[in-house]
Amino acid sequence: MKKSYITGIAVILAAAIIAGAAGMNFYAKRHFVEDIRQGAGVTEVFKLSRYNENLAGTIADTDVYVLKGEKEGGSLLLLGGTHPSEPAGHMAAIVFEENVKVEQGTVYVIPNINNSAFTHNDPLDGSPQYMHFTTKTGETRTFHYGSRATNPIDQWPDPDIYTHTSGQTLSGSETRNLNRCYPGVKDGTISEQVGYAVTNMINTLGIDMEIDMHESSPEYAVNNATVAHERAMTIASEGVLDLQLEGIKMSLEPSPVSLHGLTHRELGDFTETYALLMETGNPVQGRLRGYTDEDLILTGEDPCYVIAYDLGLLYVDYSAGNFPMELRVGRHLAGVNAYINAFNNNSEKQIVVSGIPSYDEMVNGYLGDYLL
Amino acid sequence: MNTKKLLTFALAAAMTLSLTACGGGETKAPAAPNGGNNSAASGAQTGGDASNLPEITSGSCATPAVLTSIGQSADVEIVGTLCNKAGVEVELNNTITADELSADCKTLLLAVGGSSKGLGAAGIDADQELARTEDLLSKADELGITVVALHTGGSARRGTLSDSFISPAFAAADIAIVVSEGDGDGLMSGILAGNSTPSAYVEQVADCIETLKTLFGV
Repeated sequence: MKKSYITGIAVILAAAIIAGAAGMNFYAKRHFVEDIRQGAGVTEVFKLSRYNENLAGTIADTDVYVLKGEKEGGSLLLLGGTHPSEPAGHMAAIVFEENVKVEQGTVYVIPNINNSAFTHNDPLDGSPQYMHFTTKTGETRTFHYGSRATNPIDQWPDPDIYTHTSGQTLSGSETRNLNRCYPGVKDGTISEQVGYAVTNMINTLGIDMEIDMHESSPEYAVNNATVAHERAMTIASEGVLDLQLEGIKMSLEPSPVSLHGLTHRELGDFTETYALLMETGNPVQGRLRGYTDEDLILTGEDPCYVIAYDLGLLYVDYSAGNFPMELRVGRHLAGVNAYINAFNNNSEKQIVVSGIPSYDEMVNGYLGDYLL
Repeated sequence: MNTKKLLTFALAAAMTLSLTACGGGETKAPAAPNGGNNSAASGAQTGGDASNLPEITSGSCATPAVLTSIGQSADVEIVGTLCNKAGVEVELNNTITADELSADCKTLLLAVGGSSKGLGAAGIDADQELARTEDLLSKADELGITVVALHTGGSARRGTLSDSFISPAFAAADIAIVVSEGDGDGLMSGILAGNSTPSAYVEQVADCIETLKTLFGV
């Protein structure tokens, strides 16, 4: 009997130590604040809760960086971090905000649009929690690698079935997928509140074009692609042509009218903006990947994907055996540049920017060199 | 033990099949391995030889021209932009039916390539699209309309779905324009060679602009 007590206490202590260590790890992730710095071109920073006061004081309230030119013109909203497990969109937004100067018009950049989803990851997928870049000055900057979905601490429990405001039904977990929550609900779930704030912001400010930057598994068909709302098709098709002239493969897909909750559908329907969404390949998201660590996030090097490519299973050119962050961010930035040019060709309003790192600069360089 | 093994296998299979998508495609599974990508990469030629196809002739197309999609990919928008840049006026109708095809029409441009998203957006399935294609091409033939098939999407616009539309569209084409990189396996050149169809293979999609100018004598 005595031995049983000792064993029991030992097991409880061991469990407490393990739980404590895990809890400290989760706590640190939950409260880690990314050091996103204001570029020289930033003229204002405000909180998204300006467009939905229900977000004020919550983890989901996030910074909106404003880059306003001296001349009036068109306006663009860049969304990064809709899915924080797709880091190229997040990093492209940060590189843009920290490097670009707007000469005419206004660009709004939200690098962490689903901020709650940055505060946890998917440990059962073996996902790393952070990614690191060394700047030109030798400083290490740390960024979140998060989850596809809003943190359940902020939105729980999931319903068995998620019914979107359109009446569309999806699996319950999709209720925490921000890109199924547009156009949003002012006092809905926290994901819906964020969606509402974005919709309201676009309508209030009359933002002309919106680009949502994502990544997708290399084995997924909609890859290296732009999805466009039907009103944005002219701009999208011109942009895709320009990208292809630059040697950047980009296919164009229409936004399905019957698939609700996504930026390219709902922001196009519920606002006057030209709604676009870009996807670039990301091996760390794929189910065919092998060992998962920060290196895979940054380099996209995975021997399993080499095999998958040789078997003809992929929708991206993986002949180089990698898909580095610089390539993925470079694709997004080149896309943003191309769609700005296409917008200018089709609008009396103009958006003139300088300082976007070129595709070649990104592909042949190192992302840390473009961080302040 | 056997039950455990079975359960482990089932869970592993479920994980493998649960592909991550974010831009709006959870409702569709990957249509097929991207044969086009890799056949292009390896340079494999299992079909025809594009270098021996008859060349297109200047002014062989006329307006009024109608542009439609075969497969409902957004490549139809790209072709529309190419026509616009070439100075060729076209009427864009993604889903034009045989009954809607006017006898005044001189040229029917087909932007060929399948898209599950596009089919969904049009509210039809692949079989309905194939049936529309068959009826439309039959009517065009009956009316003596010149049919120009374009494949501009490259290897990214290949695979089981797209290939199902390529076959009927290119078989019925009087003229074809193809971005070479998308025909690494020679599927289109094989069809075109069988019919001695005048064709232009271009390196980049933007090269189609000059080809369209030539065809319409712009």
